[in-house]
Amino acid sequence: MAEHTPNEHRGRTLITPEATVGPFYPGAFLTHTPTDLWNVAPLVAHHPAGQPIVVELRFFDSLKRPVPSLVAEIWQANAHGRYRHPEDRSGAPLDPQFDGFARLRTDDGGTIRFATIKPGSHPVGPGSALVRAPHLRVTIFASGIDRLATQLFFADEPLNASDPVLASIPDIAVRHRLIAARSGRTSPGTLEYAIDIVLRGDGETPFFDDRG
Amino acid sequence: METTRSSGGCVLPVVVHDRESETRTPSQPLYRIPREARDPFAAMPPPPLVRAGEADLTRIAPGRPQAEGEAVTIAGRILDEDLRPVRRTLVEVWNANAHGRYSHVIDAGRNDAPLDPNFYGFGRIVTDEEGRYAIRTIKPGAYIARRDIGWWRPPHIHFSVVGSGVRLVTQMYFPGDPLNERDFIFLVVPESDRERVIGRPAGDASLTFDIVIRGRFQTPPDAD
Repeated sequence: MAEHTPNEHRGRTLITPEATVGPFYPGAFLTHTPTDLWNVAPLVAHHPAGQPIVVELRFFDSLKRPVPSLVAEIWQANAHGRYRHPEDRSGAPLDPQFDGFARLRTDDGGTIRFATIKPGSHPVGPGSALVRAPHLRVTIFASGIDRLATQLFFADEPLNASDPVLASIPDIAVRHRLIAARSGRTSPGTLEYAIDIVLRGDGETPFFDDRG
Repeated sequence: METTRSSGGCVLPVVVHDRESETRTPSQPLYRIPREARDPFAAMPPPPLVRAGEADLTRIAPGRPQAEGEAVTIAGRILDEDLRPVRRTLVEVWNANAHGRYSHVIDAGRNDAPLDPNFYGFGRIVTDEEGRYAIRTIKPGAYIARRDIGWWRPPHIHFSVVGSGVRLVTQMYFPGDPLNERDFIFLVVPESDRERVIGRPAGDASLTFDIVIRGRFQTPPDAD
Protein backbone atom coordinates (compact mmCIF):
# COMPACT_ATOMS: atom_id res chain seq x y z
CA MET A 1 0.00 0.00 0.00
CA ALA A 2 1.17 3.52 -0.74
CA GLU A 3 1.84 5.84 2.17
CA HIS A 4 -0.84 8.37 3.08
CA THR A 5 -0.95 11.37 0.79
CA PRO A 6 -1.93 14.89 1.79
CA ASN A 7 -5.21 14.43 -0.05
CA GLU A 8 -6.14 11.30 1.80
CA HIS A 9 -7.55 12.96 4.86
CA ARG A 10 -9.52 15.39 2.74
CA GLY A 11 -10.91 12.55 0.66
CA ARG A 12 -11.89 10.45 3.64
CA THR A 13 -14.05 13.19 5.05
CA LEU A 14 -16.05 13.18 1.80
CA ILE A 15 -16.47 9.42 1.36
CA THR A 16 -19.98 8.51 0.21
CA PRO A 17 -21.64 6.22 2.78
CA GLU A 18 -22.46 2.73 1.55
CA ALA A 19 -25.90 1.13 1.74
CA THR A 20 -27.55 -2.21 1.17
CA VAL A 21 -28.49 -3.34 -2.34
CA GLY A 22 -31.94 -4.05 -0.90
CA PRO A 23 -34.22 -6.89 -2.02
CA PHE A 24 -34.65 -5.82 -5.65
CA TYR A 25 -31.23 -6.20 -7.27
CA PRO A 26 -31.78 -6.53 -11.04
CA GLY A 27 -31.09 -9.97 -12.41
CA ALA A 28 -29.94 -8.28 -15.61
CA PHE A 29 -26.75 -7.20 -13.81
CA LEU A 30 -25.63 -10.77 -13.09
CA THR A 31 -23.12 -12.76 -15.09
CA HIS A 32 -25.32 -14.40 -17.69
CA THR A 33 -23.49 -17.02 -19.61
CA PRO A 34 -22.89 -20.32 -17.79
CA THR A 35 -22.09 -19.72 -14.13
CA ASP A 36 -18.36 -19.93 -14.33
CA LEU A 37 -15.28 -17.76 -14.46
CA TRP A 38 -13.96 -19.23 -17.70
CA ASN A 39 -15.69 -16.88 -20.08
CA VAL A 40 -13.82 -14.48 -22.24
CA ALA A 41 -16.91 -13.84 -24.35
CA PRO A 42 -20.24 -15.53 -24.85
CA LEU A 43 -20.09 -18.48 -27.21
CA VAL A 44 -16.30 -18.46 -27.39
CA ALA A 45 -14.63 -21.71 -26.43
CA HIS A 46 -12.37 -21.16 -23.48
CA HIS A 47 -9.72 -23.40 -22.04
CA PRO A 48 -7.90 -21.67 -19.22
CA ALA A 49 -4.72 -23.24 -17.90
CA GLY A 50 -4.85 -24.90 -14.52
CA GLN A 51 -6.75 -27.35 -12.38
CA PRO A 52 -10.51 -27.20 -13.02
CA ILE A 53 -12.48 -26.86 -9.80
CA VAL A 54 -16.11 -26.46 -8.81
CA VAL A 55 -16.88 -24.41 -5.72
CA GLU A 56 -20.12 -24.42 -3.79
CA LEU A 57 -20.77 -21.48 -1.46
CA ARG A 58 -23.65 -21.90 1.01
CA PHE A 59 -24.81 -18.77 2.82
CA PHE A 60 -26.64 -18.74 6.18
CA ASP A 61 -28.06 -16.11 8.52
CA SER A 62 -28.00 -16.06 12.34
CA LEU A 63 -31.04 -18.35 12.48
CA LYS A 64 -29.27 -20.93 10.29
CA ARG A 65 -31.58 -20.15 7.40
CA PRO A 66 -30.18 -20.16 3.86
CA VAL A 67 -29.85 -16.67 2.36
CA PRO A 68 -31.49 -16.52 -1.07
CA SER A 69 -30.96 -13.73 -3.64
CA LEU A 70 -27.54 -12.89 -2.24
CA VAL A 71 -25.10 -11.54 -4.82
CA ALA A 72 -21.46 -12.59 -4.63
CA GLU A 73 -18.69 -11.17 -6.80
CA ILE A 74 -15.80 -13.60 -7.22
CA TRP A 75 -12.34 -12.37 -8.18
CA GLN A 76 -9.18 -14.44 -8.41
CA ALA A 77 -5.73 -14.85 -9.91
CA ASN A 78 -5.20 -17.21 -12.83
CA ALA A 79 -3.39 -20.54 -12.52
CA HIS A 80 -0.04 -18.72 -12.65
CA GLY A 81 -0.97 -16.47 -9.72
CA ARG A 82 -1.44 -13.42 -11.98
CA TYR A 83 -4.36 -11.01 -11.67
CA ARG A 84 -5.76 -9.25 -14.71
CA HIS A 85 -4.91 -5.97 -13.00
CA PRO A 86 -2.50 -3.21 -14.13
CA GLU A 87 -0.75 -3.18 -10.75
CA ASP A 88 0.18 -6.85 -11.02
CA ARG A 89 3.78 -6.61 -12.18
CA SER A 90 4.81 -10.05 -10.97
CA GLY A 91 5.93 -11.17 -14.44
CA ALA A 92 3.69 -14.24 -14.23
CA PRO A 93 1.77 -14.62 -17.51
CA LEU A 94 -1.78 -13.50 -18.19
CA ASP A 95 -4.05 -16.23 -19.49
CA PRO A 96 -5.98 -14.99 -22.54
CA GLN A 97 -8.65 -17.56 -21.70
CA PHE A 98 -9.25 -16.29 -18.19
CA ASP A 99 -10.58 -13.03 -16.73
CA GLY A 100 -11.16 -14.14 -13.14
CA PHE A 101 -14.38 -12.26 -12.34
CA ALA A 102 -18.02 -13.27 -12.02
CA ARG A 103 -21.11 -11.87 -10.33
CA LEU A 104 -23.45 -14.62 -9.22
CA ARG A 105 -26.60 -14.93 -7.12
CA THR A 106 -27.67 -17.56 -4.58
CA ASP A 107 -30.61 -19.80 -5.37
CA ASP A 108 -33.52 -20.37 -2.98
CA GLY A 109 -31.31 -22.76 -1.02
CA GLY A 110 -28.74 -20.02 -0.39
CA THR A 111 -26.21 -21.70 -2.68
CA ILE A 112 -23.91 -20.52 -5.45
CA ARG A 113 -22.11 -23.21 -7.44
CA PHE A 114 -19.58 -22.23 -10.06
CA ALA A 115 -16.76 -23.67 -12.13
CA THR A 116 -13.34 -22.10 -12.34
CA ILE A 117 -9.67 -23.04 -12.13
CA LYS A 118 -7.75 -23.18 -8.91
CA PRO A 119 -5.91 -19.84 -8.56
CA GLY A 120 -2.15 -19.89 -8.30
CA SER A 121 -0.23 -18.60 -5.31
CA HIS A 122 1.50 -15.22 -5.61
CA PRO A 123 3.78 -12.88 -3.68
CA VAL A 124 2.07 -9.97 -1.91
CA GLY A 125 3.99 -7.57 -4.12
CA PRO A 126 7.34 -6.92 -5.78
CA GLY A 127 10.14 -7.56 -3.32
CA SER A 128 7.84 -9.05 -0.69
CA ALA A 129 8.87 -12.37 0.81
CA LEU A 130 5.26 -13.00 1.82
CA VAL A 131 3.36 -15.45 -0.37
CA ARG A 132 -0.40 -15.65 -0.62
CA ALA A 133 -1.91 -19.13 -0.64
CA PRO A 134 -4.36 -19.84 -3.48
CA HIS A 135 -7.59 -18.05 -2.62
CA LEU A 136 -10.79 -16.51 -3.98
CA ARG A 137 -11.78 -12.93 -3.12
CA VAL A 138 -15.49 -12.70 -2.47
CA THR A 139 -17.56 -9.52 -2.13
CA ILE A 140 -21.08 -10.06 -0.82
CA PHE A 141 -24.23 -7.96 -1.26
CA ALA A 142 -27.72 -8.75 0.03
CA SER A 143 -30.84 -7.18 1.42
CA GLY A 144 -30.18 -6.13 5.01
CA ILE A 145 -26.40 -5.86 4.71
CA ASP A 146 -23.88 -3.48 3.26
CA ARG A 147 -20.95 -4.79 1.23
CA LEU A 148 -18.98 -7.57 2.93
CA ALA A 149 -15.57 -8.81 1.79
CA THR A 150 -13.76 -12.02 2.58
CA GLN A 151 -11.22 -14.46 1.13
CA LEU A 152 -11.69 -18.21 0.75
CA PHE A 153 -8.94 -20.83 0.77
CA PHE A 154 -8.62 -24.51 -0.20
CA ALA A 155 -8.21 -27.32 2.33
CA ASP A 156 -5.42 -29.18 0.56
CA GLU A 157 -2.96 -26.29 0.17
CA PRO A 158 0.26 -26.43 2.23
CA LEU A 159 0.70 -22.64 1.77
CA ASN A 160 -2.35 -22.03 3.98
CA ALA A 161 -0.05 -22.55 6.98
CA SER A 162 1.99 -19.45 6.08
CA ASP A 163 -0.62 -17.25 4.40
CA PRO A 164 -0.35 -13.80 6.02
CA VAL A 165 -4.07 -13.02 5.76
CA LEU A 166 -5.13 -16.32 7.34
CA ALA A 167 -2.43 -15.89 9.97
CA SER A 168 -3.81 -12.46 10.89
CA ILE A 169 -6.90 -14.13 12.38
CA PRO A 170 -5.71 -15.07 15.87
CA ASP A 171 -8.28 -17.77 16.68
CA ILE A 172 -7.39 -20.90 14.70
CA ALA A 173 -10.98 -22.19 14.79
CA VAL A 174 -12.20 -18.91 13.25
CA ARG A 175 -9.37 -19.01 10.69
CA HIS A 176 -10.56 -22.43 9.51
CA ARG A 177 -13.98 -21.01 8.67
CA LEU A 178 -12.33 -19.53 5.55
CA ILE A 179 -11.03 -22.86 4.25
CA ALA A 180 -13.24 -24.72 1.78
CA ALA A 181 -13.28 -28.50 2.23
CA ARG A 182 -13.21 -31.05 -0.55
CA SER A 183 -16.83 -32.02 -1.00
CA GLY A 184 -18.02 -35.57 -1.39
CA ARG A 185 -18.87 -35.00 -5.03
CA THR A 186 -16.51 -36.10 -7.74
CA SER A 187 -16.34 -35.42 -11.43
CA PRO A 188 -13.57 -36.52 -13.80
CA GLY A 189 -10.59 -34.18 -13.77
CA THR A 190 -12.33 -31.66 -11.51
CA LEU A 191 -11.85 -31.03 -7.80
CA GLU A 192 -14.99 -30.04 -5.91
CA TYR A 193 -15.01 -27.79 -2.83
CA ALA A 194 -17.76 -26.57 -0.54
CA ILE A 195 -17.87 -24.01 2.23
CA ASP A 196 -20.54 -22.55 4.51
CA ILE A 197 -20.51 -18.79 4.95
CA VAL A 198 -22.34 -17.71 8.10
CA LEU A 199 -23.12 -14.01 7.98
CA ARG A 200 -23.90 -13.67 11.70
CA GLY A 201 -24.03 -15.72 14.88
CA ASP A 202 -22.59 -19.12 15.82
CA GLY A 203 -19.80 -20.05 13.46
CA GLU A 204 -19.76 -16.53 11.99
CA THR A 205 -17.41 -16.21 9.03
CA PRO A 206 -14.63 -13.65 9.40
CA PHE A 207 -14.98 -10.65 7.09
CA PHE A 208 -12.28 -8.12 6.27
CA ASP A 209 -12.23 -4.37 6.74
CA ASP A 210 -11.23 -2.15 3.84
CA ARG A 211 -13.24 0.79 5.15
CA GLY A 212 -10.15 2.58 6.42
CA MET B 1 -21.92 4.09 7.42
CA GLU B 2 -21.95 4.32 11.16
CA THR B 3 -19.12 2.28 12.51
CA THR B 4 -17.69 1.56 15.91
CA ARG B 5 -13.95 1.20 16.32
CA SER B 6 -12.48 -1.75 18.10
CA SER B 7 -8.99 -3.17 18.37
CA GLY B 8 -9.64 -4.75 14.97
CA GLY B 9 -11.73 -3.25 12.23
CA CYS B 10 -15.12 -1.59 12.47
CA VAL B 11 -18.35 -3.21 13.65
CA LEU B 12 -21.04 -2.77 11.01
CA PRO B 13 -24.26 -1.17 12.28
CA VAL B 14 -27.57 -3.01 12.31
CA VAL B 15 -30.53 -1.19 10.78
CA VAL B 16 -33.20 -1.16 13.48
CA HIS B 17 -36.55 -2.75 12.58
CA ASP B 18 -34.93 -4.41 9.54
CA ARG B 19 -35.19 -8.16 10.20
CA GLU B 20 -32.75 -9.03 7.45
CA SER B 21 -30.19 -6.60 8.83
CA GLU B 22 -30.68 -8.09 12.32
CA THR B 23 -30.04 -11.65 11.15
CA ARG B 24 -27.39 -11.01 8.48
CA THR B 25 -25.07 -8.25 9.73
CA PRO B 26 -21.86 -9.73 11.18
CA SER B 27 -21.74 -9.30 14.95
CA GLN B 28 -17.95 -9.44 15.17
CA PRO B 29 -15.60 -6.58 14.25
CA LEU B 30 -14.28 -6.85 10.71
CA TYR B 31 -10.70 -8.14 10.55
CA ARG B 32 -8.01 -5.76 9.43
CA ILE B 33 -5.54 -7.20 6.95
CA PRO B 34 -2.01 -6.43 8.21
CA ARG B 35 -0.31 -3.69 6.22
CA GLU B 36 2.45 -5.98 4.97
CA ALA B 37 -0.12 -8.43 3.60
CA ARG B 38 -2.16 -5.86 1.64
CA ASP B 39 -1.94 -5.77 -2.13
CA PRO B 40 -3.63 -3.54 -4.71
CA PHE B 41 -5.32 -6.37 -6.60
CA ALA B 42 -8.92 -5.33 -5.97
CA ALA B 43 -11.43 -6.73 -8.44
CA MET B 44 -11.19 -5.10 -11.87
CA PRO B 45 -13.83 -6.57 -14.12
CA PRO B 46 -13.40 -5.14 -17.61
CA PRO B 47 -16.05 -2.50 -18.42
CA PRO B 48 -18.80 -4.10 -20.49
CA LEU B 49 -19.93 -2.79 -23.83
CA VAL B 50 -22.80 -0.50 -22.91
CA ARG B 51 -25.19 0.76 -25.57
CA ALA B 52 -26.09 4.47 -25.61
CA GLY B 53 -29.73 3.95 -24.62
CA GLU B 54 -28.86 2.03 -21.47
CA ALA B 55 -28.42 5.22 -19.46
CA ASP B 56 -32.02 6.26 -20.19
CA LEU B 57 -34.40 4.30 -17.98
CA THR B 58 -37.43 6.33 -19.06
CA ARG B 59 -37.85 4.36 -22.31
CA ILE B 60 -37.35 0.61 -22.63
CA ALA B 61 -36.38 1.07 -26.28
CA PRO B 62 -36.02 3.99 -28.69
CA GLY B 63 -39.41 5.03 -30.03
CA ARG B 64 -41.36 3.43 -27.17
CA PRO B 65 -43.57 5.64 -24.97
CA GLN B 66 -42.00 7.35 -21.99
CA ALA B 67 -42.68 5.63 -18.67
CA GLU B 68 -45.27 7.10 -16.30
CA GLY B 69 -44.20 9.76 -13.83
CA GLU B 70 -41.68 12.53 -13.60
CA ALA B 71 -38.49 12.13 -15.63
CA VAL B 72 -35.34 13.25 -13.82
CA THR B 73 -31.72 13.52 -14.93
CA ILE B 74 -29.06 12.60 -12.39
CA ALA B 75 -25.47 13.46 -13.24
CA GLY B 76 -22.21 13.70 -11.39
CA ARG B 77 -18.68 12.46 -11.02
CA ILE B 78 -17.18 9.32 -9.54
CA LEU B 79 -14.05 10.15 -7.52
CA ASP B 80 -11.59 8.06 -5.53
CA GLU B 81 -10.42 8.84 -2.00
CA ASP B 82 -7.75 11.18 -3.39
CA LEU B 83 -10.57 12.95 -5.31
CA ARG B 84 -9.20 11.78 -8.63
CA PRO B 85 -11.77 10.93 -11.31
CA VAL B 86 -12.61 7.25 -11.67
CA ARG B 87 -12.51 6.89 -15.45
CA ARG B 88 -14.09 4.19 -17.58
CA THR B 89 -15.82 2.49 -14.67
CA LEU B 90 -19.26 0.89 -14.67
CA VAL B 91 -22.11 2.75 -12.93
CA GLU B 92 -25.28 0.71 -12.51
CA VAL B 93 -28.56 2.17 -11.22
CA TRP B 94 -31.95 0.74 -10.37
CA ASN B 95 -35.13 2.15 -8.90
CA ALA B 96 -38.85 1.57 -8.38
CA ASN B 97 -41.39 2.97 -10.81
CA ALA B 98 -43.52 6.07 -10.18
CA HIS B 99 -45.90 3.95 -8.08
CA GLY B 100 -43.15 2.59 -5.85
CA ARG B 101 -43.09 -0.85 -7.51
CA TYR B 102 -39.99 -2.70 -8.74
CA SER B 103 -40.17 -4.87 -11.83
CA HIS B 104 -38.66 -7.70 -9.79
CA VAL B 105 -40.13 -11.08 -8.87
CA ILE B 106 -39.57 -10.47 -5.17
CA ASP B 107 -41.78 -7.36 -5.33
CA ALA B 108 -44.55 -9.22 -7.17
CA GLY B 109 -45.82 -10.99 -4.07
CA ARG B 110 -45.83 -8.09 -1.67
CA ASN B 111 -46.61 -4.88 -3.48
CA ASP B 112 -50.08 -4.00 -4.77
CA ALA B 113 -48.80 -0.96 -6.65
CA PRO B 114 -49.01 -1.39 -10.44
CA LEU B 115 -46.20 -2.22 -12.80
CA ASP B 116 -45.53 0.17 -15.67
CA PRO B 117 -45.11 -1.75 -18.94
CA ASN B 118 -42.80 1.03 -20.16
CA PHE B 119 -40.43 0.89 -17.22
CA TYR B 120 -37.90 -1.80 -16.32
CA GLY B 121 -36.11 0.32 -13.73
CA PHE B 122 -32.46 -0.46 -14.31
CA GLY B 123 -29.73 1.05 -16.42
CA ARG B 124 -26.00 1.53 -16.67
CA ILE B 125 -23.28 3.73 -18.07
CA VAL B 126 -19.48 3.81 -18.18
CA THR B 127 -17.84 7.00 -16.83
CA ASP B 128 -15.92 9.21 -19.24
CA GLU B 129 -12.33 10.41 -18.96
CA GLU B 130 -13.33 12.95 -16.25
CA GLY B 131 -15.22 10.34 -14.23
CA ARG B 132 -18.56 11.80 -15.30
CA TYR B 133 -21.83 9.93 -15.73
CA ALA B 134 -25.41 10.99 -16.43
CA ILE B 135 -28.55 8.91 -16.26
CA ARG B 136 -32.18 9.73 -16.92
CA THR B 137 -34.86 7.92 -14.98
CA ILE B 138 -38.35 8.25 -13.50
CA LYS B 139 -38.55 9.66 -9.99
CA PRO B 140 -39.54 6.57 -7.98
CA GLY B 141 -42.55 6.50 -5.70
CA ALA B 142 -42.28 5.72 -2.00
CA TYR B 143 -43.30 2.22 -0.91
CA ILE B 144 -44.07 0.54 2.36
CA ALA B 145 -41.27 -1.64 3.72
CA ARG B 146 -43.03 -2.88 6.87
CA ARG B 147 -46.77 -2.42 7.12
CA ASP B 148 -46.92 -3.50 10.80
CA ILE B 149 -44.80 -0.55 11.93
CA GLY B 150 -45.69 1.83 9.10
CA TRP B 151 -42.13 2.04 7.74
CA TRP B 152 -42.06 3.68 4.34
CA ARG B 153 -39.01 3.76 2.10
CA PRO B 154 -38.66 7.28 0.67
CA PRO B 155 -38.01 7.68 -3.07
CA HIS B 156 -34.44 6.54 -3.70
CA ILE B 157 -32.14 5.44 -6.53
CA HIS B 158 -29.72 2.54 -6.03
CA PHE B 159 -26.19 3.19 -7.33
CA SER B 160 -23.41 0.66 -7.84
CA VAL B 161 -19.87 1.43 -9.01
CA VAL B 162 -17.62 -1.48 -9.98
CA GLY B 163 -14.33 -1.86 -11.79
CA SER B 164 -11.07 0.03 -11.69
CA GLY B 165 -10.22 -1.33 -8.24
CA VAL B 166 -13.01 0.48 -6.39
CA ARG B 167 -16.35 -0.86 -5.21
CA LEU B 168 -19.36 0.88 -3.74
CA VAL B 169 -23.11 0.39 -3.51
CA THR B 170 -25.25 3.17 -2.11
CA GLN B 171 -28.69 4.77 -2.31
CA MET B 172 -29.41 8.34 -3.39
CA TYR B 173 -32.31 10.19 -1.77
CA PHE B 174 -34.28 13.20 -3.02
CA PRO B 175 -33.81 16.55 -1.28
CA GLY B 176 -36.51 17.74 1.08
CA ASP B 177 -38.57 14.54 1.17
CA PRO B 178 -40.19 14.29 4.63
CA LEU B 179 -39.95 10.48 4.52
CA ASN B 180 -36.13 10.66 4.50
CA GLU B 181 -35.94 11.50 8.20
CA ARG B 182 -38.19 8.56 9.12
CA ASP B 183 -36.43 5.91 7.03
CA PHE B 184 -34.30 3.50 9.08
CA ILE B 185 -31.89 2.84 6.20
CA PHE B 186 -31.34 6.59 5.75
CA LEU B 187 -31.04 7.11 9.52
CA VAL B 188 -28.25 4.54 9.89
CA VAL B 189 -26.05 6.98 7.96
CA PRO B 190 -24.26 9.24 10.49
CA GLU B 191 -25.94 12.64 10.60
CA SER B 192 -22.84 14.45 9.40
CA ASP B 193 -22.72 12.22 6.28
CA ARG B 194 -26.39 12.35 5.30
CA GLU B 195 -25.96 15.23 2.88
CA ARG B 196 -23.63 12.96 0.87
CA VAL B 197 -26.48 10.59 -0.01
CA ILE B 198 -28.96 13.29 -1.08
CA GLY B 199 -28.99 14.57 -4.64
CA ARG B 200 -28.42 18.32 -5.04
CA PRO B 201 -30.92 20.29 -7.14
CA ALA B 202 -29.34 21.32 -10.44
CA GLY B 203 -32.05 23.11 -12.34
CA ASP B 204 -35.22 21.80 -13.93
CA ALA B 205 -35.78 18.10 -13.26
CA SER B 206 -32.07 17.58 -12.64
CA LEU B 207 -30.00 16.49 -9.68
CA THR B 208 -26.25 16.34 -9.14
CA PHE B 209 -24.93 13.30 -7.30
CA ASP B 210 -21.16 12.89 -6.89
CA ILE B 211 -19.79 9.70 -5.38
CA VAL B 212 -16.46 9.53 -3.52
CA ILE B 213 -15.22 5.98 -3.02
CA ARG B 214 -12.66 4.71 -0.57
CA GLY B 215 -9.71 3.20 -2.37
CA ARG B 216 -7.42 4.24 -5.15
CA PHE B 217 -8.53 4.19 -8.70
CA GLN B 218 -6.59 2.28 -11.36
CA THR B 219 -7.19 3.16 -15.00
CA PRO B 220 -8.35 -0.05 -16.62
CA PRO B 221 -6.37 -1.35 -19.58
CA ASP B 222 -7.79 -0.53 -22.99
CA ALA B 223 -10.17 -3.08 -24.41
CA ASP B 224 -8.62 -4.95 -27.31
